[in-house]
Amino acid sequence: MSYEWDFAVVFQNYDLLLLGLINTLNVTGVSLLFGIPLGLFVALLRLADSKWVSRSAGIFIEFFRSTPPLVQLFWIFFVLPILFDIAIDPYSASIIAFSIQSSAFFAEVFRAGLISIDRGQWEAGYAIGMTRKQVLRRVTLPQAVKRMIPAFLERIIELMKTTTLVSAISYSDLLFQANDIAQQTYRPLEVFSVVAAMYFFVLWPTSVAARGLERRLAVSGESTAA
Amino acid sequence: MYNWDFGIVFSNWNVLGIGLLNTIKLAALCLVTGLSLGLLVGIARYSKRKIFNWPASIFVEVFRNTPVLVQIMWFFFALPILLQTQINAFSAAFLGLTMNTIAFSSEIFRGGIQSIAPGQWEAGKALGMTYVQQMQRVILPQAISRMIPAFTNRGVELVKMTTLASVIAFGELLHQAKTISTIYFNPIETYTVVALIFFVLIYPGTLLVRKLEKRADQ
Amino acid sequence: MEPILKIEDLHKSFGRLEVLKGIDLTVNKGETIVLIGSSGSGKSTLLRCVNFLELPSQGCIYLKGILQGTEKSMKSGKTNRVYHESQLCKVRTQVGMVFQHFNLFPHMKVLENVMEGPKTVLRISQKEAEQRALQYLEKVGLADKSQSYPARLSGGQQQRVAIARALAMEPDIMLFDEATSALDPELVGEVLLAIKELRDEGMTMIIVTHEIGFAYSVADKILFLHHGKIHEAGTPDEVLVRPKEQRTKEFLAGHNQFQIPQHSE
Repeated sequence: MSYEWDFAVVFQNYDLLLLGLINTLNVTGVSLLFGIPLGLFVALLRLADSKWVSRSAGIFIEFFRSTPPLVQLFWIFFVLPILFDIAIDPYSASIIAFSIQSSAFFAEVFRAGLISIDRGQWEAGYAIGMTRKQVLRRVTLPQAVKRMIPAFLERIIELMKTTTLVSAISYSDLLFQANDIAQQTYRPLEVFSVVAAMYFFVLWPTSVAARGLERRLAVSGESTAA
Repeated sequence: MYNWDFGIVFSNWNVLGIGLLNTIKLAALCLVTGLSLGLLVGIARYSKRKIFNWPASIFVEVFRNTPVLVQIMWFFFALPILLQTQINAFSAAFLGLTMNTIAFSSEIFRGGIQSIAPGQWEAGKALGMTYVQQMQRVILPQAISRMIPAFTNRGVELVKMTTLASVIAFGELLHQAKTISTIYFNPIETYTVVALIFFVLIYPGTLLVRKLEKRADQ
Repeated sequence: MEPILKIEDLHKSFGRLEVLKGIDLTVNKGETIVLIGSSGSGKSTLLRCVNFLELPSQGCIYLKGILQGTEKSMKSGKTNRVYHESQLCKVRTQVGMVFQHFNLFPHMKVLENVMEGPKTVLRISQKEAEQRALQYLEKVGLADKSQSYPARLSGGQQQRVAIARALAMEPDIMLFDEATSALDPELVGEVLLAIKELRDEGMTMIIVTHEIGFAYSVADKILFLHHGKIHEAGTPDEVLVRPKEQRTKEFLAGHNQFQIPQHSE
């Protein structure tokens, strides 16, 4: 009763899978494009002197970290259009959801990076007459970003994994395509195995790179003065 | 202006209640199983013997570097064909989420074990303890307290991930909400309420992680 | 002639803790003032108020005759001084500071560290900034290290770069906040020498230091701070050799490495 594998059906549909992969990368990339700057912005609000501003940013972060991404996606896809009487297609809903969601996580990465920079660096900048903005742009952020790269890569991996949720609102990402092909060919075993492998071969090198960088940064000890 | 009406959602509280119970049940089972097996896999990964180390490493890399939804779909649609049996939605979700939890928690265990100074092993050895005794009596008790924030975080992630079971129609909270909103055409109220329920369920966990991490830093 | 710096009744509190309890101080052009005192006496806080890294809770600071900050009436009827970022930035270009822990920018080369202020803050051209930076690196004897990263330098070299970075702003007054405390003993000398040279060239300076011998040799005026007040002030001979106050004597007794030069009488 051994199962007869047949990968031919998968390869016959390689164009559909490729399209799915491109769509997956598209949602991931565009969400990052919005999510990272938004995350920096939220982190700066979180670090603001004003308690009121800082707390609001905190609530934003906590809310999006403490609700499931799929619920957020559904809310934006099903609820937003009715509330504002607008049409939102699955692609836009995904971009909105993942930009906001990842920004909450990126904000935490930025914040951790920035507070890891010694206070003396801020003071040295101020002491030569720099404004807060100049110190951030020229002194502290460049140092923080270097330390944040592994955490960034990790977040990117998580984001890409999370984009599979868009299949639940029928956006044709890699998983959605797989499901489609599996249903048409009655070969879910082959299709889902191949698709899992496709995800693996995109994500694994990224994770290896993230760990390598982390180790290198740990070894170099991030030598600041003193 | 939209006329909010939460009446229907609240009159269906029992439908959501079942969903909430299923969510908690799934999360709790996966967490307990995932952490226990994660310990074994973590120790295997820490081992210098290839026969333990390699399979454990491959397992961890595969389950950390594929989306959990793909894992769940694989267990639901593909595994039954391989095994020639039926697998219901709960089992598939349980398998997917547990494997995922094993993979992530084994890394936490490994990191925790590595963080203990080598002198602790040597002190155990010097007392004539076996490897298992050193691990059980000396290393793990110290390591586990350091790992608690990371485990709590896994719990939080796990509760969020249970919503993925709705994709294969397991009746957890989000799936129940979907059902209500399809019957009554009230996605706004239903999804808003469900988002809030999840927030109330998860936020204490997030807060706890913060607190534990802060304490660990001191 | 207008004093470079004039401080009147300066108070500074952190929460309920009052660290400075009314300081008055005048610094004339070319003068070197040394602040001594045990830790917690407020000497670093006083220094940090001069370039507004700490904002005064009360009191007035005049820089080249200009009263800093703007007056603002509070609801309670009292008036308070507020300091806007643009004003502070301008003041800080005229006040150079050297920190205990150097605080060089680790991601920039030595030359870039020194160029950073002239380029980003004073907005002079890249070329001029480079020339100026080299000139000041030359002055502290480190022109050959201009292409190194700070981490490659010894502590003493790093601190000299930090001095060059502050000088490159061509400030009216320099502040040294325990500039040698973080250095290994054998590296202290080169930094003290650089400071001494500045004094000989007529730079106006306020120095916080634990090196009593150095204080003696470099200061025009010594201030002994105790519990947030100037407890005793005078020439090095007056304060260090013939202190009047009991507290000052006790403090100096704790620094027995200081040997009073025999010929000072």
